[in-house]
Amino acid sequence: MVSPRRRAAIEFVLDNLVWFILVAVVAIFSFAVPNYFQIGIFANIIEQATFVGTLAIGLSLLIIAGYMDLSIESVMALSAMVIGILFAASGVGLGITLTPEWLVVPVSLAVALAVGAVVGATNAFFVVRLKMNAFIVTLAAYIWGRGLVVALSGGRSAQEMPAALRVFAIERFLNVPLIAWVSIVATLAFAFVLRKTPFGRHLLLIGGNPVAAYRAGIRVDRLTVITFILAGAIAGLAGWLLAIRTSGATANLGVGMLFQTFAAVVIGGVSLKGGVGSLTGVYAGVLLLSSIQTAINLMGMPAHFTQLIQGAMVLAAVLLDTMKLQIRKKLA
Amino acid sequence: MKRMMATLAGAVALAAATFMTPAFAQDKGTIYYLVPTLLDEFQTGSVSAIEKFMGDVGYKTVTLNADNKTDVQQGQMNDVIALKPSAIVLAAVDFNALKPQIEAARAAGIPVMQFDRQITSTVSDFTSVAGTVEIGEVAAGEIERLLKEKNGAVKGKVLQVLGDPGDPYTLDIQKGFEAKMKAFPDVTIITHPAMQWEASNAGSIVADQLLANPDIDLVFVHAAHLAVAAVASLEAAGKKPGDVLLVSSNGAPVGLDLIRKGWEQVEVEQPLFAQAAALAMFADKVVGKQELKPGSYDVLGLQGTLTIESWGPNIKLPGAAITKDNVDDPKFWGNMKTPETPVAPVP
Repeated sequence: MVSPRRRAAIEFVLDNLVWFILVAVVAIFSFAVPNYFQIGIFANIIEQATFVGTLAIGLSLLIIAGYMDLSIESVMALSAMVIGILFAASGVGLGITLTPEWLVVPVSLAVALAVGAVVGATNAFFVVRLKMNAFIVTLAAYIWGRGLVVALSGGRSAQEMPAALRVFAIERFLNVPLIAWVSIVATLAFAFVLRKTPFGRHLLLIGGNPVAAYRAGIRVDRLTVITFILAGAIAGLAGWLLAIRTSGATANLGVGMLFQTFAAVVIGGVSLKGGVGSLTGVYAGVLLLSSIQTAINLMGMPAHFTQLIQGAMVLAAVLLDTMKLQIRKKLA
Repeated sequence: MKRMMATLAGAVALAAATFMTPAFAQDKGTIYYLVPTLLDEFQTGSVSAIEKFMGDVGYKTVTLNADNKTDVQQGQMNDVIALKPSAIVLAAVDFNALKPQIEAARAAGIPVMQFDRQITSTVSDFTSVAGTVEIGEVAAGEIERLLKEKNGAVKGKVLQVLGDPGDPYTLDIQKGFEAKMKAFPDVTIITHPAMQWEASNAGSIVADQLLANPDIDLVFVHAAHLAVAAVASLEAAGKKPGDVLLVSSNGAPVGLDLIRKGWEQVEVEQPLFAQAAALAMFADKVVGKQELKPGSYDVLGLQGTLTIESWGPNIKLPGAAITKDNVDDPKFWGNMKTPETPVAPVP
């Protein structure tokens, strides 16, 4: 028989396991990797977590609701390219200027969110209205989204985003660039929504058992549509941030981030079966991957090892998840 | 139903018009260009250049994109062989994996010309390359000069950002660059690959290395689109143009813009126009299976050297260093001015 205090302690460790792993990994790298232990590197880790971290919000919401979204990477690239074409001054950029100059911030953000939301709504239409499989629908969007990026840009780059946007990549608060703060605030906001609002709780219920949720009076289809649109819009936000960071967009921008995002979501404790997960855990998973990538950048280890390590970590995360479930069963 | 049939008929008519019109414009036959990807500006530029120059000498060009997938390109080769075109221009995704398809095409009587990516494991009918190892060597020469100007001697720290480590293009540049830099033991070279040639990966490497090695004198990236992300990281680290020197290769428009803005000092150009024009100049002879004579040929003002190698006739065109002094020269493909003078077949 486990005492209530011990049980609470075990539950706490299980709930925050990925954070403990993150602390351990960062501590090991700080001792083992030259130049790793410094504020600037930690700020870089947070900055580099920005894009996968933002993408992971939308993906987590959909997976928690019991669906897949493979389109997020292409949606991010599409949003980045659209605002690159509209506002960048060189390459394929049209260099549109607004008066006053700061207006470019809300306008470009609105465009990026709208592009993402439109793709999300398209996905939702096929999945919810036509009852098509989300995996296939979003796989198609992943392909046509990237194709649209190439078609719009003609394979060329857009370069030199306006200074009013670049401020978000250059200016720092507590040594961390503003783009990273945007991602952190978005994560915290949606973590709150998931935990503390009826919308979030209903998502968890739908992902756990959609039939039971429907019978309980939850409007499953409506919430699913909203979640797809949200996931698309959040991917659009990631594209906005990425275009600001790289000061433009290339046709292959963000290639490979989909799988990193899936890895982070799984490592962060979101169950691929739906109904389980928290966004703070996912953010820890993103930071974990980013800290490993940074260590590799500093060590001079061949980049192929990054993927090997990420693959091993995803397997380890799934294994840990299984163990956590068994421990919880024993506690119950 | 009627409406659907009308729409379908309209689409078929449109497609037929699209595909049939150019056939009347050229009369020597169709050449298929198998481009490895359309995700970078060099490859995109190669499509329009090859289509234009082949049009000059009377061939219609149809381009197929392999999306950087070897198996897709192998399938495209098999399909194209069945269509029996006048010739195939191949820019291989994988330098060796296409060998069986090249041999199958030649066995079927279809000449195969290699563009930009030299395949030495089997015989091709013609190869037009810039010499990627030589691009690395040209970059090394320029970096030698820049370090001497900055530090008074050829010494300092260079961050080399490769493209994807699975791409022989970037490995060849690295080979040429590092071989030449061996002569300067006071130069430290730190090398990292940007996986999948993705710009934000290059930006992250530069951001991390600026903290780990704040005394970096120069960043050498293997493609201009990576230079854009490198500049973004330099700017975010509070650097001004020229604080950290920047050299890039391939000569894409974005690289030339960075030179004009002072962020980049040298762009080593791949002579895209000349490489594409050389294919067109020799197309008649290749299609006619005539002998190609080794020697020096003027290709759009560049001196190309044609040699007969074990893998077939090979023309190598010199890469050029682009600096702020010559950045506006229209001969550089990055200025996006395809030469208007028609290319003529070699006699």
